[in-house]
Amino acid sequence: MTEPAVARPKVRAWKFLAFTALVGFAALFLFVGLFLSVVFVVTLPLLPRIVRRIARLAAAERQRLGRYLATPIPSPPAVEGDFAKVMTSSHTHRDIRWLALQGSVGMVVGSLALASLTGVLQNLVVAVVWPAFPGITTTLEMRMTSWGDSGLAVLTAAGYAALGLLLVPPLARWYSRVSAARLAPPKATLVERLAEVTATRAAALEAHGAELRRIERNLHDGTQNRLVAVVMHLGMVERALKRDPAVALPMVLTAQNAATDALAELREVVRAIYPPVLADRGLSGAVASLVSHCAIPCTLDEQPMPRLPAAVEAAAYFVVAEALTNAVKHSGAERITVSLRTEGENIVVEVTDDGHGGADEAQGSGLVGIRRRIAAFDGRTSLVSPLGGPTVLRVDIPAGP
Amino acid sequence: MRIAIAEDDALLREGLTHLLRAEGMDVIAAVDNAEDLLTAIAADTPDVAVVDVRMPPTFRDEGLRAAVEARRRWPGLAVLVLSAHVEESYATDLLADGTGGVGYLLKERVGKVADFLDALHRVAAGGTAMDPEVVAQLLVRRRADDPLQALTPREREVLELMAEGHSNTTIGGMLVVSDGAVHKHIGNIFAKLGLPSTDAGHRRVLAVLAYLKA
Repeated sequence: MTEPAVARPKVRAWKFLAFTALVGFAALFLFVGLFLSVVFVVTLPLLPRIVRRIARLAAAERQRLGRYLATPIPSPPAVEGDFAKVMTSSHTHRDIRWLALQGSVGMVVGSLALASLTGVLQNLVVAVVWPAFPGITTTLEMRMTSWGDSGLAVLTAAGYAALGLLLVPPLARWYSRVSAARLAPPKATLVERLAEVTATRAAALEAHGAELRRIERNLHDGTQNRLVAVVMHLGMVERALKRDPAVALPMVLTAQNAATDALAELREVVRAIYPPVLADRGLSGAVASLVSHCAIPCTLDEQPMPRLPAAVEAAAYFVVAEALTNAVKHSGAERITVSLRTEGENIVVEVTDDGHGGADEAQGSGLVGIRRRIAAFDGRTSLVSPLGGPTVLRVDIPAGP
Repeated sequence: MRIAIAEDDALLREGLTHLLRAEGMDVIAAVDNAEDLLTAIAADTPDVAVVDVRMPPTFRDEGLRAAVEARRRWPGLAVLVLSAHVEESYATDLLADGTGGVGYLLKERVGKVADFLDALHRVAAGGTAMDPEVVAQLLVRRRADDPLQALTPREREVLELMAEGHSNTTIGGMLVVSDGAVHKHIGNIFAKLGLPSTDAGHRRVLAVLAYLKA
């Protein structure tokens, strides 16, 4: 009775290999296309399209392998920039190397799975229908002349079945691992990783220092001076009340105005450090508030999210605020969508507008600021903004411990 | 006027009580958290509840939630919410039930006592008192083709004061123009924005705020 339980992984392995054969066929096709488009120089304009297809096939295969192995295969970061950058990127090279593997080994291994099933079916059919087709042979070229031969054909079918049952699971296991290793982005060496962390840490310290200096300046030159003025005017009021109460009134009003100004400045400073609405309502409430008073119609698409470390929430909030401000100022968009979700260990913030695109990171300091802020959290920022739009700003931030 | 106060900072709570009593108001309760406020209102319903947004235990928006809850339990109860910062979405929460008697002001507005008392009276009478900063948040970041661009500077001032909940007479007084002039400005504003002209009062405020939010 344990049969189904045993059979199921075998069926899964078989299905996996059968699809591997199909993907292998597609890979072979793309590989030949890639080769030909380079060889016949006139076909070079087709190259970007083929490379995009390759990336898409690799991405789909990552998903499929991830499901089969029950461990998601990380995607390499999207390559930004023009086609020359894409072509010289090590990720594209890795994809092409995988394509060669899939189009050769993958296709052969996958075909074995298909062959085992067709072998079983063909021999069984031959064993039954031979009287109607004189001269018909089994897959082993054995001519059918009697029902005794039928028995041999069934035996041959059983042989194929046994071969399939024995070979398919280990082959599927082996090939899925080989393919997954090629598809996953290379693990950065420890040294590279350390260099990256050191650089972002230095940038984070620098950004933090600049932030502290800015806050100090605002409090010191603004708020503190206003409060000094308040105290000074109250002192004058104290003296005036003893001598001539009538002159006290304008001083009281001045003190009141100075205190009101101090409060307004203090509110600005507080908002820039950690927006109170974030403390009150968490990231989704605070972003909903940003979205609701955006000048361009804006929708929020969010997954329920746990409360995150305050610094992470603040970073995500400022990304949305900055992206919305940029979109309103520069994009000419009719609609904006803000998406908040978790993907694995990361929270993902994505702001998409349907404007005219062509956003250039080099020209706006806002995006540079976002990138720096996010890098400090070991996060990733990507901007895709082709001419004609849409513009997609995506930020991945590790959600903390 | 009978008033219940909820404010967790002792100095401010005492100060507010003192200020209101000095102006001849009847402060029937002064508590320091949202739950006690609801209990106090249940025991003796005031004309207006003056509520701070951030209070114990979580120091988030319990005051705001208590205000919304109190208005749900005692329909028609006027509430004036005070906060150290204003957030347009909080105003939306307060106005969501569509009935009048709502105020949402920065705490420091208390300092301009005459204006504060005016807001308190307005809210108690079923009107609205929105902080100028809430209105400013709504007016910021408008698009270039916005019909608001068609308003004259004077009409814009009138619009802002309308959104804050002031009556025609008060607006006339603040801008030093006649009632008739205010009336004419308001007619122009509603025509330019394509809004059906609404009578004065809370419905007008809601219409204007709804327009600004859209």
